[in-house]
Amino acid sequence: MSASYLDELGDDDAIVARLRDGDDKAFAALIDRYHATMLRLARGYVATKEAAEDVVQETWLGVIRGIDGFESRASLKTWIFRILVNRATTRGERESRTRPFSSLAAEVDEPTVDPNRFIDSGRWQGFWSVPPTRHVIPEQHVLASEASDRVLRAVDALPPNQQVVITLRDIQGLSAADVCDLLSISEANQRVLLHRARSKVRAVLEVYLDDRAVKS
Amino acid sequence: MLQPEVRCVEFVDEVTVWMEGGLTDDQRLLLEEHLSICPHCTRYLDQLRATLALLHDADKGLSESPSPSARDELMAVFRETRRD
Repeated sequence: MSASYLDELGDDDAIVARLRDGDDKAFAALIDRYHATMLRLARGYVATKEAAEDVVQETWLGVIRGIDGFESRASLKTWIFRILVNRATTRGERESRTRPFSSLAAEVDEPTVDPNRFIDSGRWQGFWSVPPTRHVIPEQHVLASEASDRVLRAVDALPPNQQVVITLRDIQGLSAADVCDLLSISEANQRVLLHRARSKVRAVLEVYLDDRAVKS
Repeated sequence: MLQPEVRCVEFVDEVTVWMEGGLTDDQRLLLEEHLSICPHCTRYLDQLRATLALLHDADKGLSESPSPSARDELMAVFRETRRD
């Protein structure tokens, strides 16, 4: 079953109408479109892949039961992610894990870029000593998909709270307001997490581009 | 050379707030002034934007799917529930 069926259906209202009508092709396509993302988000809250799979399964059951009550104030995917975050939080608490967003205030400041890359004294203190390299993104499709794969793995390696925020903002394209609301965090906290996450993923991309330039 | 008011290390710290539209007008102008004369930070910003372009929908191609039994359960519940 192909997720592109959703594109054929068009906007959220059309998809929701098909789901309410019991179009199982639409439901299967919805699973194909969001399952991987939901699994990755759930991993931020629970300890194991199995637990994350349970959370996602429960979320889908919640979608089936709740679709009649869906109101198009939020987008369909934001609504699905909200169910997911609620289930994942409950499950995480049952596992008595620390909630990914509870310890934010206690986190230490991380430098955006390795401090060794800036001049550390004198008049030019704080200016680049090892500036970013010139290389840009490869345009060829194969290399672009390799780079894309690399940044996705960098996202996987982030602390859970940063991973969840960058996934929702930059991969899924949700607004800052929606993400704050969804995760019950302040705008300032959302920004800090997004900033740290983006900085680290950029650093991984820079290393990848440099390595590639050396090889070619 | 005249020293810009914003240092590179400050630029990289503030770039997200700037992109999010969270700076005051004065702060924004200072940051943009730095950007206009610093090729290194311009490159940094280029890489950041390239990162965002790569991230956009990056997980769309991932093929993770529920296990066959989990999918069967979901489809069965969907059909059962929607028939009512």
